[in-house]
Amino acid sequence: MNIELLHQPGNAAAKVTLEAGESCTSEGGAMIAMSSNMDITTTTHKKKKGSIMKSLKRMFAGESFFLNHFTANGESGEIFLTTTLVGDMMQYDLEDGENLIVQSGSFVASEESVDMDLGWEGFKTLFSGEGLFWLHLKGPGKAIINSFGSIYPVEVDGEYIVDTGHIVAFNETLNFDITKAGKNWMSSILGGEGLVCKFKGKGTVWCQSHNETSFGQSIGPKLRPR
Amino acid sequence: MESKITDGPSFAHINFYLEPGESLTTESDAMASMSAEMDMKASFNGGLISGLLKKFLGNESLFVSHFTNNTNKILHLCVTQATPGDMRKVSLDNDSICLQPGAYICSTPGVKLGLRWAGFASLIAREGLFKLVMSGKGDVWYGAYGCLLDKEVNGEYIIDTSHLVSYEPQMKLKIQLSGGIFSSFFSSEGFVNRIEGKGKIVIQSRSIDGLRGWMNPRI
Repeated sequence: MNIELLHQPGNAAAKVTLEAGESCTSEGGAMIAMSSNMDITTTTHKKKKGSIMKSLKRMFAGESFFLNHFTANGESGEIFLTTTLVGDMMQYDLEDGENLIVQSGSFVASEESVDMDLGWEGFKTLFSGEGLFWLHLKGPGKAIINSFGSIYPVEVDGEYIVDTGHIVAFNETLNFDITKAGKNWMSSILGGEGLVCKFKGKGTVWCQSHNETSFGQSIGPKLRPR
Repeated sequence: MESKITDGPSFAHINFYLEPGESLTTESDAMASMSAEMDMKASFNGGLISGLLKKFLGNESLFVSHFTNNTNKILHLCVTQATPGDMRKVSLDNDSICLQPGAYICSTPGVKLGLRWAGFASLIAREGLFKLVMSGKGDVWYGAYGCLLDKEVNGEYIIDTSHLVSYEPQMKLKIQLSGGIFSSFFSSEGFVNRIEGKGKIVIQSRSIDGLRGWMNPRI
């Protein structure tokens, strides 16, 4: 599987080339174009694994209920993948056994060898401004991740604060708590920051420069009710 | 304080590296991520009355956030805006600059955020009853939805409402119909800003009002 990211960062699209017999898994609705020899199977879970419970969990995670599996039949083929909101994409190469925790709406596609599960990070995620469940991608293999706005990595060694709604993915070596942004609750709430995620440990957290909720709030109130 | 605007013009955001003792004032909810040791405090946007006026009449937030580095090492702060677009830094040296509602992102402590009467015509054009004037000594960062276009004006110039970002305080802003009554309402331009005087103006290529206008008939 070969991944080429095009037109970054404004209108990123991924061109995925599969060798004959290779397959990859993508979020439902991400495919915009593909070669005609591509076989698609749609399942509610990862191929040959998982259950209806997993797919129900995925629905709660804000991900599409279905996953599409593309297999190049006979010869090599290509697929173009994209996302709804303007933004960037990144490729992450997982090592054997390595875990990457991805905000559920940021997942685009992964190689067949990548194992996918939903992790329950506790009730704190209710306040994280992200989905309730987080995707745990387990290597080896390649994965494609997207963002609203651009992606910037932050190397954390100790503690680091990321505003809710700005998390894209993080290494499993990190853990986060929901906390207040300022010294006291009053400042945090009045300052509009409200709750933030405080990361602890050593590893990388990938943040997105923009926040869907803030953008939505700047348009939402002026939209006509249906 | 070291600052750098990155990923412009599509997704501009600012990375600050605050030296010990330094601080920065930002619009509410502008922080994307920061060092855990950074102190954050919210206060009224220039006092209670002024804050209320700014919120209800100037379309700015009631509160602003102050970030201060009270440690003895350099701390990181990443500041962003709600809309995808470009950002710019202006350095003030006891002069001033006018910003249209929503453009302000953050400033250094020497900068004062003031309000000045903009007139009822401005309210009708949905630009707010007051205009935001930045003055003092220090740096101001402002942002836009889309890219930023510069124009040197000498005399008169017409800008569609909600596309103006910044102009110089000696310039006069007036609201008028874009053409005759008929063409104004059927060309979907409606009101336009007419700016008079000599100085630099900054225009944004997109507007949230325009996006709303496009979405409303489709939902």
